[in-house]
Amino acid sequence: MKLKTSFKKIALMLIIAGITFTGCKKYELGAPGNLVPKTVMEDPSLPSILVNNTWLHAEAYGNPADPMVVVLHGGPGNDYRPMLNCKELALDGYYVVFYDQRGSGLSQRHSKDVYNMKIMFDDLSGVIKYYRKSPSQKVFFIGLSWGAMLATGYINANPGDIHGAIIAEPGGFTFDDVKGYVSRARKFKLFDEGLNDALYTDQIITGKQNEHEILDYKRALSSAYAFSAGNTEGYTGPVPFWRFGAIVNSSLLEIGRKEGFNWTTNLTQYKTKVLFLYSELSTAYGREYAQKISSAYPNVQLEQINGSGHDMFFFGWNNVHPLALNYLNSLK
Amino acid sequence: MKKIALSIFATLLFHASENATAQSVNWRSLKSDQPHIADLHVGLDNGFIAGIGYGHKLKIKQPALINAEFSIPFGKNLTDDFKAKLGGGAEVARIENVSFSVGVHGIFRRYQSELVRLAGFGSEFVAVAGYYRPKWYVAGEFGFDKAIITHIKNSPIMKEYYPGGQDGWYIPTGGNFFYGIKSGLSIKNCELYVKMGKTISEDLKTTATLPVYCQVGANVKFNL
Repeated sequence: MKLKTSFKKIALMLIIAGITFTGCKKYELGAPGNLVPKTVMEDPSLPSILVNNTWLHAEAYGNPADPMVVVLHGGPGNDYRPMLNCKELALDGYYVVFYDQRGSGLSQRHSKDVYNMKIMFDDLSGVIKYYRKSPSQKVFFIGLSWGAMLATGYINANPGDIHGAIIAEPGGFTFDDVKGYVSRARKFKLFDEGLNDALYTDQIITGKQNEHEILDYKRALSSAYAFSAGNTEGYTGPVPFWRFGAIVNSSLLEIGRKEGFNWTTNLTQYKTKVLFLYSELSTAYGREYAQKISSAYPNVQLEQINGSGHDMFFFGWNNVHPLALNYLNSLK
Repeated sequence: MKKIALSIFATLLFHASENATAQSVNWRSLKSDQPHIADLHVGLDNGFIAGIGYGHKLKIKQPALINAEFSIPFGKNLTDDFKAKLGGGAEVARIENVSFSVGVHGIFRRYQSELVRLAGFGSEFVAVAGYYRPKWYVAGEFGFDKAIITHIKNSPIMKEYYPGGQDGWYIPTGGNFFYGIKSGLSIKNCELYVKMGKTISEDLKTTATLPVYCQVGANVKFNL
């Protein structure tokens, strides 16, 4: 009996030791670059700017003297990679500026306590200031989802500073609207694969609040639910990304939940026409909600982007581009 | 240090498979002439899952079982995600109707999505204290589920988005504490049980997207 016991012990230990200490190379989840790309802090070859005491992954296309278009990505925490089609506007006579927002994409990470809504607006101010060549240069926004919310919050606070905006499916301009939208967009069904895609990794990979790489990787993996079958935002496939910033995402959502916000209080002063886009395939958004949300702006051109879901600058660019160009040219 | 820890784990796992017992059973209703226990359950466990299990009552003085469990989350692809557990538990102390037991399981988990395939080994330790009568019981449990080593294989989509991502074995990858209550009702050779509780990451701060678990199940005890 003792011999049998010893044999079992040795066999089991050998199996574990075999996996652990032999030829298989082992990696650390949290080591920079193993699972998520290095940010501008670890990879100096990335284009970056220092704004408002943070390093942002940023680049600009076109003639710097042309009217400026600042592209604002979704999230919070996503990056501008799926919006790179907007580069085409540089060929149309615009100076197109992309940046990954604070803590997002390939921009510098920060601890949770750094984030607040004001700092996100201040960063945007800093980016405009960094790239703007003269006070007479017009500034336009293109914002998707959270980026459209950020654009609207900025316009609400500075209605005289922005010369036009393309607003695409913002979750809402008040936290209550956002909450309602998110509940429709993340509408899980108990028997759907999407539910597993989003949740099942939590028992395999966990990270502490300061283990950014792990949390970012987890958030990237959970994004699979977004394009799983039956998703309500109309995704027909995956959308490219560099890095999902888990901390900035959770931090800003928590602030929204605790403090709320209302970015419509001053919008009536913004008389410039806004191009408001919603997608044909997103059942979570739809024309009715687009009408409701866009009505916060006094002057709106509401357009449906056919053949696309929420990420219309990636999936529906061919339909977005002519609308965007006509709109921008009308205000140029 | 890691080698020592792994050796300790291996030893514990070995002893668990020798001496331990399934956790959602009523110790007072176990009978020596019905040593086999089949289990069927559904619940929430980082997804909506269904599982089966088999336990075998050991022929030793103290109530003890070895058991195996297998569960899958619902979804279109039924085989891409699953959890298999092997181990058991034993009642370690009893004061009249109050019972204390421990359990240890080795775990193999698999997860696959359009973005990644994860496959890994882990372990689960649980301590249970409860009030057990022949027809019913109510107990509290506290445990730790550790994902010790996981193989990560990023999908072609992920490799296209980030070619520098490293496929391979990652050590360790995570851990969650869990705590909750459970209760069961014995009817003849069947036992209906329910358990529920909360999970929290090993740093005791971060939580899972679904930080609760819940399981409803039935055991059937039988002899061959």
